[in-house]
Amino acid sequence: MTDKKTDKETIPAKGKVGVYICYCGGNISDHVEVEKVRESMEKIPGVEVARTDMFMCSDPGQEMIMQDLKSGTVDRVVVASCAPSLHETTFRSAISRAGANPYIYEHANIREQVSWVHHGDQATDKAIRLVAAATAKAEGLKPLEPIRMEARQHVTVIGGGIAGLRTAKDLADCGVAVALIEKSPFLGGQIAQLERLAPTGDPAADIVTELAGEVLGDPGITVHTCSLVETFNGYVGNFTLGVKKRPPDTDCEKLSSLNPSGRTPGEFIPFKGFYPESVAARAEELSIETGVVVLATGFKSYTPRRGEYGYAEFPEVITLPELIRIMAENKTTDNCLEINGRQVRSMAMIHCVGSRQIPGIHPEDESGNFNEYCSRTCCSATLDTAGTIRQSYPGTRIFELYRDIRTYGRGQEELYEQAAKNKVVFLRFEADESPEVIRSNDHDDFPLRVKVKDVLTFGEEVEVPVDLVVLATGMEPNNVSELVDMMKLPVGPDRFLLEVHPKLRPVELPVGGILLAGTCQAPMDVGEACSAAAAAAVKAAVLLGRGYVELDPFVAEVDLEKCRGTGACVEACLNEGALNLVEMEVDGEMVQRAQVTSALCWGCGACVAVCSENAIDINGWTLKQYEAMVDIIVADEATA
Amino acid sequence: MSQTEKQKKEQKAAMKRLRQERKQKIKDIAATVKTQKEAVKAIKEQLQNHGGTVPQIARETGISADKVLWYIAALKKYGEISEAEKDGGYFRYILSEGSPEEIFNGQPDGSQDTK
Amino acid sequence: MDAILELDFDALIVGGGIAGLQAALDLADQDYQVAVVEKDTSIGGKMIRLSKVFPTLDCSSCITTPKMAAAAHHENITIFTYCDLKSLESEGLVLTASITQRPRYVNPDKCIGCRLCEYHCPVYVADKEEGGFSARKAAYIPFSNAIPQIALIDVENCMLCGKCAKVCPTQAVDYFQEPENFTIRAKTAVLATGFELTPVENKQQYGNGEIPNVITSLQMERLLAPHGPYNRVLRPSDGMEPDAVAFIQCAGSRDKSMGISYCSRVCCMYAIKQAMLLSGSLPLADITVYYMDIRAFGKGYEQFYQNAKAMGIEFVKGKVATIDAGANDSVTLRYEDQNGEGVTSANHDMVALSLGMIPGWNPEGTCPVSTAADRFIQTIRPKIAPTRTDMEGVFVAGAAAGPKDIVDTITEAGAAAMEAAKYMTAMETARKAVA
Repeated sequence: MTDKKTDKETIPAKGKVGVYICYCGGNISDHVEVEKVRESMEKIPGVEVARTDMFMCSDPGQEMIMQDLKSGTVDRVVVASCAPSLHETTFRSAISRAGANPYIYEHANIREQVSWVHHGDQATDKAIRLVAAATAKAEGLKPLEPIRMEARQHVTVIGGGIAGLRTAKDLADCGVAVALIEKSPFLGGQIAQLERLAPTGDPAADIVTELAGEVLGDPGITVHTCSLVETFNGYVGNFTLGVKKRPPDTDCEKLSSLNPSGRTPGEFIPFKGFYPESVAARAEELSIETGVVVLATGFKSYTPRRGEYGYAEFPEVITLPELIRIMAENKTTDNCLEINGRQVRSMAMIHCVGSRQIPGIHPEDESGNFNEYCSRTCCSATLDTAGTIRQSYPGTRIFELYRDIRTYGRGQEELYEQAAKNKVVFLRFEADESPEVIRSNDHDDFPLRVKVKDVLTFGEEVEVPVDLVVLATGMEPNNVSELVDMMKLPVGPDRFLLEVHPKLRPVELPVGGILLAGTCQAPMDVGEACSAAAAAAVKAAVLLGRGYVELDPFVAEVDLEKCRGTGACVEACLNEGALNLVEMEVDGEMVQRAQVTSALCWGCGACVAVCSENAIDINGWTLKQYEAMVDIIVADEATA
Repeated sequence: MSQTEKQKKEQKAAMKRLRQERKQKIKDIAATVKTQKEAVKAIKEQLQNHGGTVPQIARETGISADKVLWYIAALKKYGEISEAEKDGGYFRYILSEGSPEEIFNGQPDGSQDTK
Repeated sequence: MDAILELDFDALIVGGGIAGLQAALDLADQDYQVAVVEKDTSIGGKMIRLSKVFPTLDCSSCITTPKMAAAAHHENITIFTYCDLKSLESEGLVLTASITQRPRYVNPDKCIGCRLCEYHCPVYVADKEEGGFSARKAAYIPFSNAIPQIALIDVENCMLCGKCAKVCPTQAVDYFQEPENFTIRAKTAVLATGFELTPVENKQQYGNGEIPNVITSLQMERLLAPHGPYNRVLRPSDGMEPDAVAFIQCAGSRDKSMGISYCSRVCCMYAIKQAMLLSGSLPLADITVYYMDIRAFGKGYEQFYQNAKAMGIEFVKGKVATIDAGANDSVTLRYEDQNGEGVTSANHDMVALSLGMIPGWNPEGTCPVSTAADRFIQTIRPKIAPTRTDMEGVFVAGAAAGPKDIVDTITEAGAAAMEAAKYMTAMETARKAVA
């Protein structure tokens, strides 16, 4: 299971440290006197060289480190730069390329922890202390080998919307077995709530049917609808998910009600989704052993607060998804659009409802949240719908009330032009002067009036009489708090799942082996969600492609010379199974001693704290190293 | 004649042919280089004593201000001059200490390594 | 004459910008053999030329160089720089690319990147890597974090004085180098040919690029880059620190007069970013952004925009009609004011045109892949398989398939790699079935 370290003895216990300090192209050097840090490091005993570079992560920067290792000048490396989450792997692989053990490396974060938060002498002083501590720790670093574990050639995708379907199919096409878990009885997710997709006009039903059909037809994919993940254990390459399947007639809809017009399973049901052939008939619990988990838990449409632009107060105020559904289910050939039995001679569409909210201007929801983000898709969806209405029902006048029109994507600007050509009237409002929807007085022919200060006519107050108000509601992430707690997932301030880095690792989470696909990460349109899903699939394929995964070797190690078998560490251990007492023979006597199962160990150090004999330590983070770090941080010389 | 000498001779002849081929272009570039050298010399002379700002140098040398700035950016990149304090809306520039070669022995971007 | 060298790979990536590099890495990590063909002297594309990137304000180099280095050192990736793609065609199930590598006049196997040639070369040449604001030499390394770090000689500006050859410690200079032709055969290809800025020369109302202190957005990136031409933001006409700077949005996008009706998708965000960086380095300067719609649609973008407003950057609604040279090297704008004052004019010390994107490559005559009306490469399944083109086995990633920011580009590059991997798996399955 574990590759034993082989070259432990070939490198001296006390290291020759090389310190490499990055300017980060001004990101660090604008606030930290990098050359002063270098000078201070040179004075530390054990530091052989201290060098600086504009971009240490660039090829010439890495080359400099590699040269020093190759020439034998240094055998421990400290890089002082940005957060290790960005470039720890970059420098470790450079060290490997130079023929050294990648774990003789220590990282000092002097960007996020220093230059981005401190200025002036204080910044330089803190940088010096942090880098000095890193050098002190580096001296005691030992070469380590990653823990190599076999990886299950299996991926579990949570969420059967478009992103989940895309990821599942992509992986199956590459020969990886996939389990797809969907909580509803249907596949297709939110797209099934649409009629046609802007700006291409693809019918949503066709897109869902095509992809869901491919997924269901693929013998490599097992689809579990009406299923929820209830337990989660393990680590990258070896996860175990406990899944509960419920038949759809418990809480959700009855099977028979799904099928009003005699449709058979395996068909697309408008505004529900693709109804797969295998819907659980009885409650069932199953355990899925898997190597990688892809989260494709999607979004939900924002529900306006009661009274927000008259929503839920006036029946003539509906959301865009509601309008789309009503229009699809009641197609007429009249001159005017008819909604809920009422002719719509004039309608207003209000943009940015539940999106681009500004604290201080917009009210927060009951949990104190603002949706400060743009939902990305509503402009195009609104314009597309407006265009359709103007073409099919020329008797219906449309006013669009907007802040900025965001038709950014390919083919979207044309929707905007088309709407203008179709005589949609645009009124523009400022964020702090939102339109008002009011009930007309009794004599009025129209039930509602929309009041707005129109920026396009230099702030003129305009009142539009309307039969219907449509709110272009944005996206909110689905509530996945149970998964978040179970899998310890990071969530951004916008409540969407938060990737490691939007550019370096856009579909990864800090928890190894858990990936993101689609709108659980941020608002996206269908094409963008499919791109993200395929990008997640490629990362999963890469992870599993080698057949094994490597875990960081920062795990507990027992010193059998010192261990007395008290079991205090086993008690303290936070992950069941990571530490056990085992019988072994010492000096001809059978005794109990602690033993670590490396793959399960989190490296948290709870065991280290309770051992009275100092018989257990975390590799790469030993007590001795901590002492050395603390000593140098509090020493005056460090900053001299 | 030894092999290497023969090669050298051939090389020389080939260079000669190449120079002949590009005669006109080389002439044009040489003229540009001459102008550049004069400009650099004039700018450096201005900086000799206590430095100067771009408009000051432009006034003294008769070289247009945008061109002066261009030369300053280039000379700064190659380590020959450096920026000094601000003077009104403009920065003053001074000659760098040490020869360009010495400066160049640092990192390519101008940062220095030690030990 | 020698037979043309033929090289076999699994995947060919056309373009070594961030899209191409990401696609290459995602394929190479699956043990496919990948060739990256880049027209420029270095990989890294437009991204490596940027200062910082929105919305995280990470320095662009910090994100790009690790990916460049990872690709350059990857055992399954071979990089060919300074190459022209002469043709890319499919013959049966094989894609064949004819490529010409332009001469660097420096032997790449000998050059150690010491830059002695550059220091001794007597010819100053406007450095386009620094927006023309600074100079390089006729013998030079393109920029400090270029990969490969190999010098080249710009023969258009070389007077054959022989100084570079004389000082080169490894005798790498070769004035007689010839272009080299070779062929790459691959099972699949990803087109990652990127973008260029809309040519400001075509916009007469904005001065055709001839008004002093009216600069392009990529020039502004260089001014803001910490290792840029002046190491600070100065007005290019005379080195003054500007007190009033304006950004003109949709300069070359959503502009039918230039034949570009689409939105270029990144200009709003990069202008906001530049404005923020500018306000960081020139805290007292007045910064104004003239815009039609602010399109801050990506993750964290709207918040970024609101932060910029809170920082005091002024956003003025209105399309700028004309730009003219003003007094004392200033720049005069005319625009329709939204407060009902009619056509208004404003003066700024410096103006940056937020230029849009046009395709970096026209496949016509080189490759039978189709382009759309916007001249970017056509994708045939934009909803469920956004990287598929109409040429079998050929996929597209990044700005080659329409304007795109870095985040979306990197994601799309991963998707293209997925499609390419799937295509090769299917080919292999079919081959096995036949055998």
